[in-house]
Amino acid sequence: MNNDARQSILTSIRTHLAASAPYDKLEHPDNHENPVILSNIPLESSLIDQFKLNLESVDGHCIITTDVTDALNKIITDLNAQRIAISDNPDVERWLYATDLHIEELGIAPNAKDIFRFDVGISTAQAAIAETGTLVLDSAHERHRLLSLVPPVHIAIVDASRIYATLGETLSRLQSGNELSPAITFITGPSRTADIELTLTIGVHGPQELYVIIKKPT
Amino acid sequence: MNHLSSETFRENARAALADTQLRGALKNATSLFGERRKSAAASLPNWEDLRSQARAIKDDVLSHLDRYLEKFVSEAEARGAKIHWARDAAEANAIICKLTAERQARIVVKSKSMTTEETHLNDALEAAGLQVVETDLGEYIIQLADEPPSHIIAPAIHKTRGQIAELFTAELGMPPTDDVAKLTNTARITLRDRFAAADVGISGVNFAIAETGTIVMVENEGNIRLTTSLPRLHIAVMGIEKVIPRFADLDVFLKLLPRSGTGQRLTTYQSFITGTKRRATDEGPEELHILLLDNGRSRMLAHPVTRQSLACIRCGACLNACPVYQQVGGHAYGSVYPGPIGAVITPQLMGIEKTAQLPYASSLCGACREVCPVKIDIPRLLLHLRGEISERKGSAAERVAFKLWSRLMMSPRLYKLSSVAGRLLQRIVPIAPAWTKGRDLRPIEARSFHDLWPIK
Amino acid sequence: MKVALFVTCLVDQMWTSIGVSSVEVLRRVGCEVEFDQRQTCCAQPAYNTGYLNEARPVAQRFISIFEESNADAIVSPSGSCTAMVRHYPQLFAGDSEWLPRAQAIAAKTHELSSFLVRVLKIEDVGASWKGKVTWHDACHGLRDLNVKHEPRTLIRHVRGAEFVEMDHADTCCGFGGTFSVKYPEISVAILDQKIDAIERAGVQAVVSGDASCLMQIGGRLSRKGSKVRVMHLAELLSHR
Repeated sequence: MNNDARQSILTSIRTHLAASAPYDKLEHPDNHENPVILSNIPLESSLIDQFKLNLESVDGHCIITTDVTDALNKIITDLNAQRIAISDNPDVERWLYATDLHIEELGIAPNAKDIFRFDVGISTAQAAIAETGTLVLDSAHERHRLLSLVPPVHIAIVDASRIYATLGETLSRLQSGNELSPAITFITGPSRTADIELTLTIGVHGPQELYVIIKKPT
Repeated sequence: MNHLSSETFRENARAALADTQLRGALKNATSLFGERRKSAAASLPNWEDLRSQARAIKDDVLSHLDRYLEKFVSEAEARGAKIHWARDAAEANAIICKLTAERQARIVVKSKSMTTEETHLNDALEAAGLQVVETDLGEYIIQLADEPPSHIIAPAIHKTRGQIAELFTAELGMPPTDDVAKLTNTARITLRDRFAAADVGISGVNFAIAETGTIVMVENEGNIRLTTSLPRLHIAVMGIEKVIPRFADLDVFLKLLPRSGTGQRLTTYQSFITGTKRRATDEGPEELHILLLDNGRSRMLAHPVTRQSLACIRCGACLNACPVYQQVGGHAYGSVYPGPIGAVITPQLMGIEKTAQLPYASSLCGACREVCPVKIDIPRLLLHLRGEISERKGSAAERVAFKLWSRLMMSPRLYKLSSVAGRLLQRIVPIAPAWTKGRDLRPIEARSFHDLWPIK
Repeated sequence: MKVALFVTCLVDQMWTSIGVSSVEVLRRVGCEVEFDQRQTCCAQPAYNTGYLNEARPVAQRFISIFEESNADAIVSPSGSCTAMVRHYPQLFAGDSEWLPRAQAIAAKTHELSSFLVRVLKIEDVGASWKGKVTWHDACHGLRDLNVKHEPRTLIRHVRGAEFVEMDHADTCCGFGGTFSVKYPEISVAILDQKIDAIERAGVQAVVSGDASCLMQIGGRLSRKGSKVRVMHLAELLSHR
């Protein structure tokens, strides 16, 4: 680490902050009156319903079910997917195996060299946020970083009990107790861009389709 | 690359005003962005509170920037990140070039980073023999076109789809099409193998959390995730002002940034990266290097009015709201950072020698201040800079004119005489050709209000 | 209620009917209006161009003159000039003598429509004017003084006038003081957006609270041969 630069920058910061002190004392915050913005109060509804509504509003697909295998069966059949990458969560393999689908290639958390071959990536999500329709993928719990990103379709299974109401609550839960994992990803719908004339296009570098299966208790 | 210079802002603006395609593209983009931002803000009942909170957090950070930076560094290092400090652009580029050389890298993929545009990193890497691939669609487009970005968050917004289509046909051999989905898909396919082949991924940083040593990046496309998870080496470049105190503060900033920038509740992806992977077999880069760039930022701490420049979270809302930007676009400013925020930070980062026009290129309407999620008082900053510029670099003629003006205003007699003189002069001399070229000018009243008083 | 009129140098020199109308309206609603002949300018042109040292003495003079008045309020037919006076405390930050004096004067100074509606609580000044009108929000009045519904309320009470809200009423007209002559092409380009909106609104008149905006807008309307006239709020309100 370059100590000279570090020292120089920190010194520069301290010196300039000190120079500011006499002016700081004179600051009268300007009373620019802010317009009052009225807004809609969200309806009371279940976390699952809110999540579904918000995910669908960003072009994600949401399936609420007690039978994950059945949901996977339908999705994969519809997609006619042949090469499937799954995470190292044993539940995923179990659910997929139970579908009885004919799959040409199955990869378990394929690495960077291989991941580009696959049509679909299936993972779980460690949590979800109802107010935004967001999935939380925590890399410490599962190997899913590439398969939730590279294949054109991502299917994520999240337990209904892991859907939290707000962003704030979710951030707080991520932090409580444990060390943050090296890579946490929030996913809200399929990838998109509006870089060309602000016209929305779905499916850029990340997946073009996102399916979220919410697993309800039986 | 032919960068326009801020020194020729007036001429740049004139050329922009004559470019009908550009003006059409700008009108479309800025009004859509503006409408979306407005709706998104209106959907949060506590929008104004959030702005105040965000500003309070930033004020706290900036007033103690050294301590928060040191905390961020120690937390990040404890988790495997390597930290580099760069006093200026040249030092930043040298550090990054050295890192890539040490690892015999050949291909670099980049996700959008205004900070690396500021240092002209791509030029330095290419001079060192590396292939640099911009992966954000807008950045990819301008890279093909060999142009600088014209907007902080949508770099190619000055281009029509027709222009982009022509570009793709010329540079990529794509059959001509106006279909935005096809254009996007071409970019996706073309860039996929670059991601796979890249040795190094270079990203920016939206927020750096002091408490946990986490860097946070937000995006819609997925290219940041690819850039920061496929290559073996990830270099994250950030201005020193990007640090925020606590992980929980993200609740405030993640509500403000997407809404202010694109009118979204949340962008598609947020990546929270805390150090390097824990086990060798884990996915992700082997190395994480974080570069902290000063390049003139620490100087801005020296006065409360200028210090607020560093609160900027690079949302671009001020650009979309600015009547000047709406007319002339980003390139005219001749700076990496255009629009209202550009007009105030460019002179501070680069010095006023060549950037002195920028703080004057504003009607001081205040629309920028109204939309800024962190309540930067840009008009006040503009006035502050105008004060500095008139002191250090002002035109002697203008100074004399205002001294004369001051004398006139101090004396009712002289004031009255000046209007008599004005009435005479206006008949003989076109007092303000700059005005009358486009607008009629009312004649000075034959009798002033002072003359008319008392009024029955 | 006794009012000290701060007529502004622009109205004084270039548009006296605004001053005359303001007096008329204030008297009609029961105010006694005094006018201190010593007044010249609030120092805005120098302040906005960065010449603070040249602005300060002019501001001090303003303060000294108006301090001597025993009027209840200082009222001005200009949002930008009123906003300038409200900024006086910034100009004298740290000055133990002038800061409190600046604050006192700033607190007493009001833009006309704001004074009528917020201070006097009057919405109907007994005016009448036949035709469709629209309102242009002058930037400083809107954003520094939060004047938005007051002029609209006053206009809605003008008998015979039909108020039309135009698109982008709150977007700048492009004047910006010296900006209008330092960057005239940009100023006119911004102005043309405003002119388009005015034309789309299909009105006979566009009303605003700042002579500077009216000069900018009026100057372009007449150059383009438009039939739409510009009026200051005071002129509209003084109409019977």
